[in-house]
Amino acid sequence: MVRKSLLYGLLALASLVTVLPLLYMVSLSLQTEAETLSPDAVIWPESPQWGNYAELFTRAPFGNFIVNSLVVAGAITLAHLIFDPLVGYVFAKFRFPLRNTLFVALLATLMVPFFVRMIPLYVLMANMGWLDTYQGLITPFLMDAFGIFLMRQFIQPIPDDLISAARIDGASELAIYRRVILPQTRPALAVLALFTFVFQWNEFLWPLVATSTPEMRTIPVGLTLFNQEYFTLWHLTAAGSVILFVPTAVLFVLTQRYFVRGIALTGLK
Amino acid sequence: MRMPRLRPSTLSGRYARTAYLFLLPAILFFAFMFYLPIGNVVATSLRTGPQADQWAGFGNYAQALADPAVAHSFLVTLTFAVAEVIGSIVLGLALALALDQPLRGRVVFRVLLLVPYLTSVAIVGLLWRNILDPELGILNRVLMAAGLPGQQWLNTAPLLTIAAVTLWQSVGYTMVLFLAGLQGIPETYYEAAKIDGADAWRRFWRITLPLLAPTTLFVSVMAVISGLQAFGQAYIITNGGPGDATDLLVFHIFNVAFRTRDFGYSSAQSVLLLIVIVAFTVIQLRAGRRGEVTY
Repeated sequence: MVRKSLLYGLLALASLVTVLPLLYMVSLSLQTEAETLSPDAVIWPESPQWGNYAELFTRAPFGNFIVNSLVVAGAITLAHLIFDPLVGYVFAKFRFPLRNTLFVALLATLMVPFFVRMIPLYVLMANMGWLDTYQGLITPFLMDAFGIFLMRQFIQPIPDDLISAARIDGASELAIYRRVILPQTRPALAVLALFTFVFQWNEFLWPLVATSTPEMRTIPVGLTLFNQEYFTLWHLTAAGSVILFVPTAVLFVLTQRYFVRGIALTGLK
Repeated sequence: MRMPRLRPSTLSGRYARTAYLFLLPAILFFAFMFYLPIGNVVATSLRTGPQADQWAGFGNYAQALADPAVAHSFLVTLTFAVAEVIGSIVLGLALALALDQPLRGRVVFRVLLLVPYLTSVAIVGLLWRNILDPELGILNRVLMAAGLPGQQWLNTAPLLTIAAVTLWQSVGYTMVLFLAGLQGIPETYYEAAKIDGADAWRRFWRITLPLLAPTTLFVSVMAVISGLQAFGQAYIITNGGPGDATDLLVFHIFNVAFRTRDFGYSSAQSVLLLIVIVAFTVIQLRAGRRGEVTY
């Protein structure tokens, strides 16, 4: 009994530490400027200022930030859904010259952190005139080795006989992929889409480097630079943070089982 | 009717063509977005000047290795990464062990602990900068309302503070990894140990910890890799300060590249950090393999 209440105590305390700051962020987003600056500890605003959210849009092109984040994270997620399973399928089920060499070359990219590509990609995008454009924000992340590897692991157990049978029936290779393989990968695709979207939605370094006009910024970058400019307007920064956080929180609540399984998958050898 | 003769060579040749056709976009992508940039970062690191077009040989590398600012930044980054590793393992494992018990509401706790993992580094940075602010921050306002002295968190222990804030975000992720590891340990081991009279403490040290070693290794590799390339915390919370106390290396590289506009020098530092990260990963994996146990 004692042990059990001790465990509950520990877990409750840890949960408070993880959740309270985020609830405070919501509180802050509804406070008046005076409340954010007052020496008293304002836990919850006297009267919630929903107008803060509207004011944010007049102080910064926040509508643009939202659209940009949706376009960039959405396009990258779509690209992953198209390419990762296709490439994973090839490495799982095809025999062809240089297969192992190409696979090792692919896996090697897992060891390349983004900061290594940051400077050369900036120069490359500058030379192509792609800085401050959607294609500049999207292209570096169209696929990744991890997603491909995940899909390969998932496709490998699908029996080869299914593929041979479809070939004998005269199905084209593309049709085999789309009708035989793809439908079986749905659970893995859901995990892939979820993780890709959340990570890209939250991505900070590349949009910071690759954009220069406020109109092209994504939410994380736009919000941070807004805060640098209006560093006393904490209620507005908090409102922007809530806007940035809500979509991922909603996605998470809807799919938390997939999410947890997805994380556990990354830890498997 | 004559059956067409199946010739394996042409057949596999046809499938090879299909394979390459399917792979074409990926080959182009990884060539232009990974291998070309890697080649370019190395090429740029050997050059100098505002356009990075004058040959410098290993000059940038020699300069970086002799630069006290780089050495300091590396030390800061290493301390940060070590704090991340220790914090991730201790807190992640403790929470996973608590959550691995037959408790009601486990799913709710798991969700609550995982929530910060969904936040962007922009939220982590901005929110905690506000919370920890000496005058405006809610933390000090609550402390003072309770009659306690306020703390200058980001002045007295800036590096540990941003490391703690990073752990706040990542601990749920580590916890889920450890939970998966714990659930992979067969119950029979514990039952056998109980019959042999081993108490909970011994069971933890003799069964749980050794059998969890692969997970612990994975967690520490991930924590080192992400710790060594942390950027947003320094950019948003501390601006590298006070002084250069939190001048994380990627933040340092970012400033050399995009504020000083020295692409050659910053590229050399990128390559050096990459070498360090790869070396750390290899060493950890080697050490981990040696320490692996099976029962």
